[in-house]
Amino acid sequence: MAVLEEPIKDLRIIKNYINGEWVESKGELYDVVNPATGKLVAKVPYSTGDDVDAAVKAARDAFWEWRSTPPVTRARYLFRLKELLEENFEELSRIQTQEHGKCIDESRGETRRGIENVEVACGIASMMMGDYLEDIATGIDEFIIRQPLGVFGVIAPFNFPFMIPLWSAPYAVATGNCVVVKPSEQVPNSQARLTELVEEAGFPPGVWNVVNGSREVVSGILDHPGISGITFVGSTPTAKYIYEMCGKTGKRVIAQAGAKNFMVVMPDCHVEGTIPALMTSFFGNTGQRCLAGANLVVVGEDDDFYNSFVAKVVAAARKIVIGYGLDDTVQMGPIQSPDKKERVLRYIGTGLQQGAKLTLDGRSFEISGDYPDTCFIGPSVFENVTPDMTIAREEIFGPVMSVLRARNLDEAIEMCNDSPFGNGHAMFTNSGKNARDFQYRVQSGNVGVNVGIVAPMAFFPFSGMKDSFFGVLHTQGKEAVRFFTESKVVIHRWF
Amino acid sequence: MRLNTASGIISFVRQLESDGAEFYESLSRHHDQFSETFLALARENKKNISEVERAYYSVITDAIEGCFSFDLETDPYTFDKNSADPGDFRGNVSKALEIEDKITGFYLDAANQSGRLMADVPRVFKLIARKRGSRPSKLNSLEVI
Repeated sequence: MAVLEEPIKDLRIIKNYINGEWVESKGELYDVVNPATGKLVAKVPYSTGDDVDAAVKAARDAFWEWRSTPPVTRARYLFRLKELLEENFEELSRIQTQEHGKCIDESRGETRRGIENVEVACGIASMMMGDYLEDIATGIDEFIIRQPLGVFGVIAPFNFPFMIPLWSAPYAVATGNCVVVKPSEQVPNSQARLTELVEEAGFPPGVWNVVNGSREVVSGILDHPGISGITFVGSTPTAKYIYEMCGKTGKRVIAQAGAKNFMVVMPDCHVEGTIPALMTSFFGNTGQRCLAGANLVVVGEDDDFYNSFVAKVVAAARKIVIGYGLDDTVQMGPIQSPDKKERVLRYIGTGLQQGAKLTLDGRSFEISGDYPDTCFIGPSVFENVTPDMTIAREEIFGPVMSVLRARNLDEAIEMCNDSPFGNGHAMFTNSGKNARDFQYRVQSGNVGVNVGIVAPMAFFPFSGMKDSFFGVLHTQGKEAVRFFTESKVVIHRWF
Repeated sequence: MRLNTASGIISFVRQLESDGAEFYESLSRHHDQFSETFLALARENKKNISEVERAYYSVITDAIEGCFSFDLETDPYTFDKNSADPGDFRGNVSKALEIEDKITGFYLDAANQSGRLMADVPRVFKLIARKRGSRPSKLNSLEVI
């Protein structure tokens, strides 16, 4: 079948969106490249501290009017945004593929997930309700109201250019706050298009601002006294730093970080259903996902089961069609950039040096279609991996599966819990008892049973534990509403 | 051609239903007596596309196994939408029955492969296959007067 039409046809100079206007930054421009084709799709500014200041000022100036707007009226802007996102669904999806590289199924999935958060935020009138009790003492009533705080910074990673800001921003504005969104400088087009639709939805100037750039923008947001809080998704070292800095500066924070997810396979698992789930988990989004499977733990001492199961896994991985994600026969796109590919290759080298067996070598692969191999890499499978090896402990963020063995479920759970990360461990079994045991004991914020990517729906929090999360409340759903508001307790007496 | 992705499957559904609709539209032109019957079948084909797309675009998420739930070759299901013979009613009905068999077979095979993995999509495939179940008897009952 033909490759789907690319939505970005001409080189775009990305602008910031501040106070309802598209403004150029004085910051230097950097290239945004389609990782599959190598073509330049945009230039993005590395904005300055002045740009951040302007955005925060606009947001603070807009705040009082916006927070005084009834919640049901604020929700109507979000309803309109939802309509516009649906009308432009396919274009938004293809933009993600063009700048990130993921397959069109994955992009459409990302678009759907992003829209789901807008849908949930539309219910803000109910979600923001407080509680009221008459006569805490005779003639005295007490109640609680939830009030917005001001301006929030939303700092987004490269791997889900459309969706991740929507884990936060819709709830922030629905609750009456204003936002300054910083998209990843590597994939800014998705947010640029989304912001055009925010503008079309009619949000008042200053409510939703976007500042593009890199470290200087992050620092600007982190240091700015006019920002009440930050949501961040990215690597563990940066998440930890942001968490610490927010503590020092009195900002509330949600910092979602890295992962090393264990997929625990029991001998009683449904093999036919498990294999595709593992393919999605380990190789979907080319492994660039905080919920991606990283370590496959085959439980039990039955060598026959181990050998036949792993053979099936390797056979399925070997068949994966690699290519440009706008070709809808492709199952795995490229890694997002050459340096990220280099990093994955280094880990493969480390795995070999430390004695793991490279059963499937992703360094050798075929690309479907005529594309440069700059960012492409095939799926890799290591066997004979032990928990102390680097490839079993550190986040690779690429299509590399490390296969370990555990004698029993207890040992498998211990392996999971020994990891410094706790994001999205999962198990595959037909036993309810095993499943309950696993979910009860495993230290993981998101837990899967017969599900390889444990991505919570928008009405649930996106949880995380240990070095995968810093903070208390999480993005999405009711917890996001709590994060973006403060509880004000009022006691009334009338003389 | 091999179909491995949900996107590819949905594109193929569009092709099958559109080609089927075009075939029935050609029959409606060749056989006046049953023009409305054939046009109704063509319209239903097009509605099936909307139903499938609605299920796919609603359920497709980054977490469901959209890229790894299918493994189908298209050849057994394809047909020539331009194969109607203006003068051969019985022959055209036979071709229609064959087309129905292929399309229904595709839906059922795709549903069986993805049943555990793709949530609403295999469900709508099975619904459409079931709806089509009445077409063979309807086609066989058409008698030229």
